[in-house]
Amino acid sequence: MILLMSQDSPDKIIDKSARLVFSFFISSAGLWLLAAALLAYIAAAKLTDPFFLASCEFLTYGKVKVAQANAFVYGWGGNAIFAVSLWILARLSQAEIRGRLFLILAGVIWNLAITFGLLGILDGHMSGHEMLEMPTEVWPAMLISYLIITFLALVIHRSRQVRETIAPQWFLLAALLWFPALFLIAWNGLEINTARGTLQTVLSMWFGQSLIWLWLTPVALGAAYYLIPAILGRAIDKYYLAIFGFWCIAALAPWSVVHHLEGGPVPMWIPAIGTVMSIAMVFPIAVASTNFHATAFLDVGKVWNSLPLRFVIFGTLSYTISSYIGVVFSLPAVAKITQFTIINEFHFNQRVYGFFSMIVFGAVYFALPKITGREIPVAAKNFHFWTSTFGVLLLLLAYLIGGLTHGVLAGQPTLPWSSSVIASIQPYFLITKFAFVILGFSQLVFVFNVWKVIFPNPFTCCANASKEVNV
Amino acid sequence: MNNLAKFTIGIFLTLGIAWLAFVVGARSQYGDLTPTAQVLDEDGSVPVDAELFPLPMSGLAKQGAEEYAALGCVTCHTQQVRRVEAGFDVERGWGKRPSVPRDYVYQDHVLLGNSRIGPDLANVGLRGHDEAWFHQHLFEPQTIYPQSLCPPSPFLYSTVEQAGDTVIEIEPSDDLGSSRLIKPSARADRLVAYLHSLKQDYELPEIAFVEDDETEDATQIDVVASVDEPHVQLPEWLRNQIESGKEVYMKAATGGGMCFTCHQVNGKGLEGQFPPLAGSDWVLGEKDRLIKISMYGLMGEIEVNGVKYNNVMAPPGIPPGSLTDDQIANVLTYIRNEWGNSASAISAEEVARVRASLKDRPAMQMFTAAELTPPVQ
Repeated sequence: MILLMSQDSPDKIIDKSARLVFSFFISSAGLWLLAAALLAYIAAAKLTDPFFLASCEFLTYGKVKVAQANAFVYGWGGNAIFAVSLWILARLSQAEIRGRLFLILAGVIWNLAITFGLLGILDGHMSGHEMLEMPTEVWPAMLISYLIITFLALVIHRSRQVRETIAPQWFLLAALLWFPALFLIAWNGLEINTARGTLQTVLSMWFGQSLIWLWLTPVALGAAYYLIPAILGRAIDKYYLAIFGFWCIAALAPWSVVHHLEGGPVPMWIPAIGTVMSIAMVFPIAVASTNFHATAFLDVGKVWNSLPLRFVIFGTLSYTISSYIGVVFSLPAVAKITQFTIINEFHFNQRVYGFFSMIVFGAVYFALPKITGREIPVAAKNFHFWTSTFGVLLLLLAYLIGGLTHGVLAGQPTLPWSSSVIASIQPYFLITKFAFVILGFSQLVFVFNVWKVIFPNPFTCCANASKEVNV
Repeated sequence: MNNLAKFTIGIFLTLGIAWLAFVVGARSQYGDLTPTAQVLDEDGSVPVDAELFPLPMSGLAKQGAEEYAALGCVTCHTQQVRRVEAGFDVERGWGKRPSVPRDYVYQDHVLLGNSRIGPDLANVGLRGHDEAWFHQHLFEPQTIYPQSLCPPSPFLYSTVEQAGDTVIEIEPSDDLGSSRLIKPSARADRLVAYLHSLKQDYELPEIAFVEDDETEDATQIDVVASVDEPHVQLPEWLRNQIESGKEVYMKAATGGGMCFTCHQVNGKGLEGQFPPLAGSDWVLGEKDRLIKISMYGLMGEIEVNGVKYNNVMAPPGIPPGSLTDDQIANVLTYIRNEWGNSASAISAEEVARVRASLKDRPAMQMFTAAELTPPVQ
């Protein structure tokens, strides 16, 4: 009732309530994106010239590479997940975001924890567990701040106006809830009741891969399930399949991720079960792909003309292709060649950049103008889209072809390692360095676009800003 | 799906089943994994007085593992030899056998890794490298493998002016450089101790050595796999290399090596005059030393397997010193794998690298044993 009486539409009120929180999370995400881009460039440059910055101990390759992945997943990914899922949940629940002060506070803790964590890695306190390399001291801070944010997201969801839930809500809520569960399992198994021997690796591999499958992936899928119908103005085609797709991911993904251990010193049933479940993953992939693309291809012109949607569809196509490639690479006959090669980099970047990040870009370009009431120049958005597309494709092609070369040559025991096998893939490292420069520029433009609408007049502080809010 | 509590229970249930399998299930399977003897008694019990494997790690090596983790070495190096049907690892000489879970029960940090921009390190302690080699590699890998992408770690070393007990000399890689003297820090020592400790050179009840593993690096003379068998089980490339090497060894005409005239067809040499090659610690040990001798010859006193010889070995080949990189690689691979010897093959690239590092040395200037750091007994 109160909503109806006020001048603004309900969506406007919700957007207003999201303004501070969304701006905070997305502008911190942008900064992390730039930090990750810089680290990615340094790591790539070190692979083309090992003497680059060689005397700096804190910038040695192993540390930079790990810091980059952590900055990308927790810094950019984490903040982006908070921003996007809070806003979408609020919109779908038709409820305002509450506890904004706590959200910002938790966000500050989260960002500080990651900052200290990354500095810890560079300073030589890396733990060596996949995607949990940050020193254990920052883990409690991360968990607590995360739980505060998740709790407040659940509060939004609980106060929804319509009882029936839809696909984007399932995916977003599941992602928000899975992360702390994964984190606690890994924490317990690696630090508290430390597992013996190679079981540690099973656990950290399971955590690292599940983080991508059960945290980043569902958020991006949820955002796509929300954005495609919202922008196109039509319902998801064959929507009744979505629930099947959701439970397939929930049931299969935690099993499928361990196929990377094929042939290693772990009980043989672990990678075997991983391979079987990976193959079964074709079902949820097919469902999501059908839902998104059957809907989008009904109105290709609109997809092309709406920049946020172009980003989202790039992401969903990338998801489909990369997931099918992942299924093929999990077959033991193929894994024999591709395992341990730089195809791992292909998978990681395809998933976190080609899929997750592109959908988040789309979500931000869709949400920001509504939330702030200011438009982002079309040319700047287009520049971001095309440089990102080109950079990602270049990067992925280099890693894919380079990875296959790597695997095939490594399989020939007569070829000496560094002077033949690794020397043959060096040109691809050069291409990735170039691609990271392009992506760096692209991300700089994105951050500039975002900051420009959030802080239009950075030097004339609060007085003007508050006026604009009232307009 | 509409009830948040039920939904939450549902999504945790799916996760929980996987957790039950991978964490609870696998943990109970690992529960009784303890060090054991290489061969069990018939009734399956560990024989009394048998040495148990894997051996515990030394304190220094454990500290080294921390350094290894902190420097992020695991980003590029795996420490796992895959099963034979799942990969080329054994064939490449990265291990005598696939790794099994029991190999890792003593490690606090299990760093299996999942990327190989560098080679696998599960058995790096078995490749016949001495400590100085490891230090040189850590300090600047490119002085050993010019095309290596491994980051140099000069911050683990201090440069010193004077030679000393622990000081290592790094020879210049080109004409312009001068040799450098470096002193390892405590951290470097720990890392090297750790790397040295990485070896899976024992059999376990659940895993035996892979049969045809003569390609793999072994410096121990007593691990000869098949003493008098012909090289039928070897991979084709290695068989070819050994055959070409044998031609060089036996040929006493232009382009040959004429090695047999002194070292004999049976590789045993002549007592008191020419040292043996069969079972020789010089032949089975460090490759570089052997390559240098094959290029420049050797003179003066030398101790082989505890026996002293004093003679002159002119630069091999007819005419002297004329052996090509390929010929040297082949003949050395031959002598390292004949007469019951079993050690890793030597490639033409490795010879070329040594040749490049010696280009300032006058032709025909024979080495002396003292110049070459004799093998550690």
